[in-house]
Amino acid sequence: MRISKKLAPYIFISPFFILFFIFGAFPILYSFFLSFQIWDGIGPQEFVGIENYIFVLTDPWFWQSIWNSIVIFVLTTIPQHVIALFLAFVLNSKMVKFKDLFRSSYFLPYITSAVAVAMIFSMLYGEHFGILNTILKHLDNLPLIGTLFDFININPPIRWLGEEAWIKPSIALMVTWQFTGWNMIIYYAGLQNIPENLYEAAEVDGANMKQVFFKITLPMLRPVIFFGVTLSIIGNLQLFQQPYILTGGTGGVGRAGLTTALYLYRTGFNWNMFGVGSAMAYILCLFIIALSLINRKIFQER
Amino acid sequence: MKKLITITVVTLLIVSLFSFAIAAKTKIKVACFPDQDSGFEAILDDFYAEYPDIEVELVVNGFDDHHNALLTQIAAGGNVPDATTIEIGYIANFVAKGGFVNLLEEPYNAEQFKENIVEYKWSQGTTDDDRLIAFPTDIAPGTIYYRRDILSELGFDIDDMKTIDDWIAAGSKFAEDLDGDGVNDRWLLADAADIFFMIAKSGDELYFDEDGDCIVDSPRFIKAFKAAKIVRDKGLDAKIGAWTNEWYSTFKDGTVIMQPSGAWLGGHIRNWIAPDTSGKWGVANLPDDMYVNWGGSFLAIPEDAKNKEEAWKFIKFAATRKDTQIAQFKASNIFPSWKPAFEDPIFDQEMEFFAGQKARLLWLETAKQIPTVVTNKHDVIAEEIVSAALTDVLNKDVDIIKALKDAKQQIERRARR
Amino acid sequence: MSRENNKQNNLPDYKKLKKITNKTILYLILIAGVVITFFPFYYMMVLATRCRSEIFCYPPPLWFGNSAIINLNILLDKLPFFKNILNSIIVSTLATLLVLFFCSLGGYGFAKYSFKNKEKLFFLMLASMMIPPLLSIIPWFIMMRVFGWINSFKPLIIPGAANAFGIFLMRQFMEKIPNEIIDAARIDGAGEFEIYYKIAVPLSKPGLATLSILTFLSSWNNFMGPLLILQDKTMYTIPVALSKLNGNFETPWGATMMGTALGVLPIVIVFIMASKRFISGLTRGATKG
Repeated sequence: MRISKKLAPYIFISPFFILFFIFGAFPILYSFFLSFQIWDGIGPQEFVGIENYIFVLTDPWFWQSIWNSIVIFVLTTIPQHVIALFLAFVLNSKMVKFKDLFRSSYFLPYITSAVAVAMIFSMLYGEHFGILNTILKHLDNLPLIGTLFDFININPPIRWLGEEAWIKPSIALMVTWQFTGWNMIIYYAGLQNIPENLYEAAEVDGANMKQVFFKITLPMLRPVIFFGVTLSIIGNLQLFQQPYILTGGTGGVGRAGLTTALYLYRTGFNWNMFGVGSAMAYILCLFIIALSLINRKIFQER
Repeated sequence: MKKLITITVVTLLIVSLFSFAIAAKTKIKVACFPDQDSGFEAILDDFYAEYPDIEVELVVNGFDDHHNALLTQIAAGGNVPDATTIEIGYIANFVAKGGFVNLLEEPYNAEQFKENIVEYKWSQGTTDDDRLIAFPTDIAPGTIYYRRDILSELGFDIDDMKTIDDWIAAGSKFAEDLDGDGVNDRWLLADAADIFFMIAKSGDELYFDEDGDCIVDSPRFIKAFKAAKIVRDKGLDAKIGAWTNEWYSTFKDGTVIMQPSGAWLGGHIRNWIAPDTSGKWGVANLPDDMYVNWGGSFLAIPEDAKNKEEAWKFIKFAATRKDTQIAQFKASNIFPSWKPAFEDPIFDQEMEFFAGQKARLLWLETAKQIPTVVTNKHDVIAEEIVSAALTDVLNKDVDIIKALKDAKQQIERRARR
Repeated sequence: MSRENNKQNNLPDYKKLKKITNKTILYLILIAGVVITFFPFYYMMVLATRCRSEIFCYPPPLWFGNSAIINLNILLDKLPFFKNILNSIIVSTLATLLVLFFCSLGGYGFAKYSFKNKEKLFFLMLASMMIPPLLSIIPWFIMMRVFGWINSFKPLIIPGAANAFGIFLMRQFMEKIPNEIIDAARIDGAGEFEIYYKIAVPLSKPGLATLSILTFLSSWNNFMGPLLILQDKTMYTIPVALSKLNGNFETPWGATMMGTALGVLPIVIVFIMASKRFISGLTRGATKG
């Protein structure tokens, strides 16, 4: 069998479009249809107009889940990107050796399954027998650090997953640990694209590392930072596995770890409210788009 | 070498023939959550003796996981267990959803067992159009588990502990900040929420009345919230949620005086949470003359199950016989719902774990006083919303009346969906 | 230039010293980072070799114990864990093979042909990447139910077989193949598929390597789909199996950490062996993007 040159590209790209229409586009349309129905997945469907949307938008738990997602997003995205930028900058410079070794090490958490990471961290976060609290307790006994802990009101043992106030930071800390390496790679790739002669010129002008970083690297990396933060927005607003495992699938005390993705999952698959779940999915999608646009605005200014 | 090969081949053949013979048995899957599995395991040998052609595979999942998985399985069809446990909190939800066979029909004819089953259990497993879709296996009289050693050290006598205030008094004496970090290190109980559950469950109805109206703003709930709030505000609870490592420690280390729960928790404490504390525990009636049902389960056969007949044999074996009901009771305090079992001499036995107390007799007396409990298909979500409201009240000083009103509104909004 | 010389003459030692301290601090930070990165993995392995009473004591253990076999037995008692690993291998391998084929095919189509509506179709494909997968999770589940695909591996392999990201990545790599080679092959009478198979595929091996690692990883670590679809212990993939250990009344933590280690280590070993090529492939793919 021979394919003509004219037909070939269509055949070659068709698998994507066929699969996309079946498993991508159709469910999205179906989801839109479902968002106007009340349905438990078993019984008859009932058309209710925009009632599901009103329900979601007036649901305090939904807004709390949005708030949770945004707080976790802020708590993890900022340290992630700052550390990643620093690491990428250092590992791209001529200052250190063993670059490959460092790079690979930092990247390791990213390739690990989030479920496995969450299982490990739920051990680290143990209240009485967790290693993290043990370390903090020892630090607390040191004179200077002890005072500092008292000052910022940290009294080990911390109830990482047992207390409302700590659940979000716990999730954020874990996500930061896991995804900083990934962002480092993105920035590293971006740094490689900065022409060498820019640095050389700076060296000739007698610029120090700090100046190079703020005057050359940062401005040149603008599009890459935009790309990285966009990925973080999309990823974090759909954060599911981490809170699912760390809070035992419930969202934790006072729903402090209930992200929107987890809430959506529970609405659909624990409470079988498929209509409400679909409406929630559309609203979440709009949120993600809105945040991405705001992000673009920030990075396009100037 | 050739000989070796021949021997191997022959052995393999024999083994495969044997496994073929074993495979000829009907294998049924029974899905359940802990500690139901320990109860079932205690009767499996006898079951095999009676039904050598049936093999039982227990599919054990965590409590929430078990019910959530069942929900998707029923919704998805096809891959369902042959028999499944359903706990009382979820029963009305599954009764309303359908997807299970009517046990009153041929070939099950469950009607014949009705007079021997605890009354309210039967109605809970029955749909509005009078189909029995879940067969009662056990009930769970609620009592208090308390540390005898601690209580007597504090100078309290269990016979005087008649009201919640008595317990609060004991707790206030016991609670103490041992390491001086500003929070107590021993308490009355692990979680103030259990004070709430104890009182909330003490009615004929729980979250909904018989007409299906949500009643979470009724005086019973206000009282329950207030009592929990007092316990929390006095620093008498450890704020430790159930089924966490920290929770288990409170049993082992004797850092709490008491824990209200169903009879089944006694099995957990004895079997694995704190087996070393044998003899230090006692069982007492709930304060203020409350008699509540705290748990209990059913067995049901999904419509899509492949081996319904064998599953029914298992259910009958587990739930309609004195000896097996008692065996499960003995193994993990799974309290019988089969009334003839109440006559068993085991109730008169002294229990070593509870320092020779005839605890089973106490549970039996409690069981006889439990009023009918109305269940509703929205119990699961109602419990989650009310618990959330309670957390807000305990942690954030939200006004109780307002919290319950909001909870009621939320439940009603959801109940429609 | 003279100012520079001046400085050097006045304070040579100081500057050198400062440079050395800076470097030392830098290395210390980098090494601290490595320690923080590796510690959870190390601790996972420590706990995997410890029994319950050793895990729940104060202070917690920091060195390996000798309960590894016991933990493995508990794990195998709770789950058919080796079957779960096998499931993960089967699913991830099949998914990767299909992705490699369909995405390189699609990438080749977009890279080396000009055809009507090419730009529009390419844009549509890129746009599809922006759709959050959560948007369609409920109908997706219902579809799987209608197809009778619940509790099978098909939903985890087939829908993603030709995905936008893979095609995009492969297009980046295949665009660099010189047109002359392809035209020459055509003149020699090679068919279109033959050119793809005999020329384009061998010339884009680094791209295929990157794509296969990425696909294998995401398939191996996939959670929500398998959690919804797989209902039998014997069908679980590793992440689902691990999550089921959690949430029972009594989580067997030593055994759970053993399972986590068994699930994580294969991936870590593969990564350590291929990390250099992987990261360079990734950076190259990302740079071109």
